[in-house]
Amino acid sequence: MASADGGTGYAGSGAEARQWPAAGPSRVPNWVYTDPEIFAREQQRIFSGPSWLYACLEAEIPNPGDFRRSRLGSREVVAVRNAAGEVVVLVNRCAHRSMQFCSANRGSAKEFTCPYHQWTYDLDGKLLGVPFRRGYRGEGGMPADFRPEEHGLERLAVATRNGVVFASFAAPNQTLEEYFGPRMLGWFDRVFSGRPLEVLGYHRQRIPSNWKLMFENIKDPYHASLLHVFLITFGLFRLDQESSMEMDDTGRHAVLVSRRGEQRINEATAQLSAFRGDFRLRDPRLIEPVREFPGDATVVMQTVWPNLIVQQQSNAMAMRQIVPLDAENFDLVWTVFGYADDSPEMRQRRLRQGNLFGPAGLVSIDDSEAMLLSQAGIAGNDAQDCVVEMGGRDIANAPTMVTETLIRGFYQHYRAVMGL
Amino acid sequence: MVTASPGLAAPAELRVRLGDLYAAYDAALDEGEYERWPEFFTAACLYKIMPRENYEAGLPVGIVYAESREMLADRIVALRETTLFAPRLMRRLVGTPHLHAIGDDGMRLSASFALFQTMLNEPSEVFLCGRFYDRVVEEAGILRFAERICVTDATLVPTSLIYPI
Repeated sequence: MASADGGTGYAGSGAEARQWPAAGPSRVPNWVYTDPEIFAREQQRIFSGPSWLYACLEAEIPNPGDFRRSRLGSREVVAVRNAAGEVVVLVNRCAHRSMQFCSANRGSAKEFTCPYHQWTYDLDGKLLGVPFRRGYRGEGGMPADFRPEEHGLERLAVATRNGVVFASFAAPNQTLEEYFGPRMLGWFDRVFSGRPLEVLGYHRQRIPSNWKLMFENIKDPYHASLLHVFLITFGLFRLDQESSMEMDDTGRHAVLVSRRGEQRINEATAQLSAFRGDFRLRDPRLIEPVREFPGDATVVMQTVWPNLIVQQQSNAMAMRQIVPLDAENFDLVWTVFGYADDSPEMRQRRLRQGNLFGPAGLVSIDDSEAMLLSQAGIAGNDAQDCVVEMGGRDIANAPTMVTETLIRGFYQHYRAVMGL
Repeated sequence: MVTASPGLAAPAELRVRLGDLYAAYDAALDEGEYERWPEFFTAACLYKIMPRENYEAGLPVGIVYAESREMLADRIVALRETTLFAPRLMRRLVGTPHLHAIGDDGMRLSASFALFQTMLNEPSEVFLCGRFYDRVVEEAGILRFAERICVTDATLVPTSLIYPI
């Protein structure tokens, strides 16, 4: 379907002139996935705006001086635990000549020294020293009125909850708890109950697609019940299972909740041409889920605006951090974790189930490849729109997987923030 | 005679047999005969692919994490029968394996690999490079991998890693 303006998507030039299709939330114009000016506006309004951005887990930086580099939108930061034991998030940019001063992904430091001219900062980002500040033998040096306290590292607002660190470039007018809202906070606390976490490792993927396609993927249970034959075959996720799609009041955060059923053939699987009733694992240890959370949900995928997916798929848990690179590329950074008091058997179970996720995941491969092929289909077709009217054209929580309501909710909020 | 590194004393015949194991493994994968891949491993093998970032930090997560020959076989069936991916060819270059220890639990070897990926209608590209850390054992006269840890230099994977390294 072409856009309301006759097909070009332009009423003039640039992001200012972009017009959302007249059909509203049931359409997503392809230019949101390709336009560099839209991308620039996203960086400004979403990633540098009043959003709480996922930065890292506290378990990654347990002791004073421990740091972990992260990228929030287009800007690199360093999350560090200061001498007082608080988490500080600093922009990875020397206040002198903008050099990236930290080039390790993780480590421990007493202070940060920029290698270029050795300006040195404490763990709070305060400028401690400038070599040759007074010059040499009375010549050169910084002006007498140079005030070190005005040249510290840029420090972000930080909020933590049960071991998870969020940061913001702008001062959000909401606490982290208000930002989540009560319904989403409840789902978040289900995994992050305060039980100490253990980081099991990292995956990183560079995916040639727009970052929003990653969110759409996780907000779209409809595809999961068709595309992910592995999940379907082993009854890990199927549309005949009891499920719910829930959002916060704005539509920006959501959860996709599913309850596992048996591997059986019924009316739903009969419609799935891909269902493989004959496929049995030769080593079933690959799956063997055990219940570990209260309630009957077995899969909870939570999407947290604007850069986090919390994955709880049976016993495989990960933070999937979305790092937009440009309009047509993003990095997906996986922090795989368990609980510090896991039994050795549970830890091993999590590692085995990890075969389903990540860059070579027997389920996740479908998604990274789908995003690659989606972006390829979008290329050159800026005037076309995507159709998202499965489950209706409105935005409401739904007790079914056969719906795209969460995608509509996401874009409702996106349009409000972006002024589109 | 100049000897830069004397290496480990091992019979020439053993070195030839190890060379054959590596060559046969690479040939099977290069020719896309992935169903043959599990044959190169012992029943209770450990096969992992992990970025050097995890390997050096002692973090256990693998991009692929298999604890038996059956799990390797399951992965190939799953890839063939249940997984969506764009068509591609993979090609590998593996350096001469360095035999550095022979012990009761087998032979320890390592070798560098370069993995090239060619997507349909796209130029060939270096996809990943890194090093194998292997333990090879002899079972009933046949050499097999009891352990193969594939450590990639890059922290990230371009899009998806479909086929085994």
